[in-house]
Amino acid sequence: MKSWVVIACLICAPLPALAHKVIAGVFPAGDAIEGELGFSNGDMAVDQEVIVYGPDGAELGRTVTDADGFFLYVPKQPVAHRFTADLGAGHVANVTMNAQEVAEIMGVAAEVVETSEVQATVAGPEAVIFAGLSDEERAAIAKAVRDELRPLRREIAAYREQNDLQTILGGIGYILGLFGIGFYIAARKKLAG
Amino acid sequence: MHIVDGALSNPVVIGGAVAAVGGIAIGLRSLDLDRIPTAGVLSASFFVASLIHVPIGPSSVHLILNGLAGLLLGWAAFPALFVGLLLQAVFFGFGGLTVLGVNTVNIALPAVLAWMIFGGLIGRGSPVHGAIWGGIGGAFAIAATTGFVAISLALSGDEFLPAAKLVFFAHIPVMVIEAVLTGFAVLLARKVKPELFVKGASA
Repeated sequence: MKSWVVIACLICAPLPALAHKVIAGVFPAGDAIEGELGFSNGDMAVDQEVIVYGPDGAELGRTVTDADGFFLYVPKQPVAHRFTADLGAGHVANVTMNAQEVAEIMGVAAEVVETSEVQATVAGPEAVIFAGLSDEERAAIAKAVRDELRPLRREIAAYREQNDLQTILGGIGYILGLFGIGFYIAARKKLAG
Repeated sequence: MHIVDGALSNPVVIGGAVAAVGGIAIGLRSLDLDRIPTAGVLSASFFVASLIHVPIGPSSVHLILNGLAGLLLGWAAFPALFVGLLLQAVFFGFGGLTVLGVNTVNIALPAVLAWMIFGGLIGRGSPVHGAIWGGIGGAFAIAATTGFVAISLALSGDEFLPAAKLVFFAHIPVMVIEAVLTGFAVLLARKVKPELFVKGASA
């Protein structure tokens, strides 16, 4: 099943690159930055190289998206990270994660180790449960939570791109208004002339 | 079809903006009182057309309708399509504000070219004859737009031929659909309001 999805994505990957908006997002994922890259119609960018730049424009590193359009990047410096991908045919994705968020990711990774040591020494039912988890289990839980959240995030991203009737009607209203003003000006000119 | 912010180099963006301002100026001068409603309606059609996605195979494409706008408006297609593009950028995030000039030229200039080449042919002969030329004009405008998009990308550093091919082939279905749509629109207009084209061709 999954391989079919991948094949389908690969087949239609170059085509939808033309008629749609690029969607890109970055989120903290444990000690790494996880990003998503795709098009507004739901097709994800597969095997797309993503270049990471620092605030001064210097290249920090590169990463490649997987079959679902996700990429991972482990930050090494607590500075703003700008992720750029050129999807061809005039589609360029550009997302930035600010310095504070990157610092939090790096800080979280450091804190987890400290708290686990502290909690191991504190007696209490909750602490025991927490301390009973190994790093692998903790990572597995974090991964499971991220996997659960992924479709939600995608849905939110798609929702944000949705154009509802109000927006369309609003746009048509603006057009009517603009051409009404044009009509008014032209009519005044004609009357004056 | 809409090029996004950041995809083009600065000279291309500035050149596009200057060309767009020139086109809009010519268009506004040619836009007399009688044609303002036509321009408004076509601007609104263009604005909404990009939301109509036509599913083709695994992908989908959206309509552009610049050929129809050009054939009916001539140079006045520039301001009409500019307004549509501006609102698409603001409301839907299609394209972007910095590349608005380039996008306007890429979409409105083929419209004007279609009018220059096919505008006269549409007004002559029988309505069916005019409709066929209208359909060809509609398809031509899309083809020319893909060419202009490829040129904009090539001037910014992309390889011309692969980019042009990619955009062109992806838009073949749009060309077919727009040819049919434009043809029928011309047929209807020729029967209902024949003076629209005779005037458009002579203006």
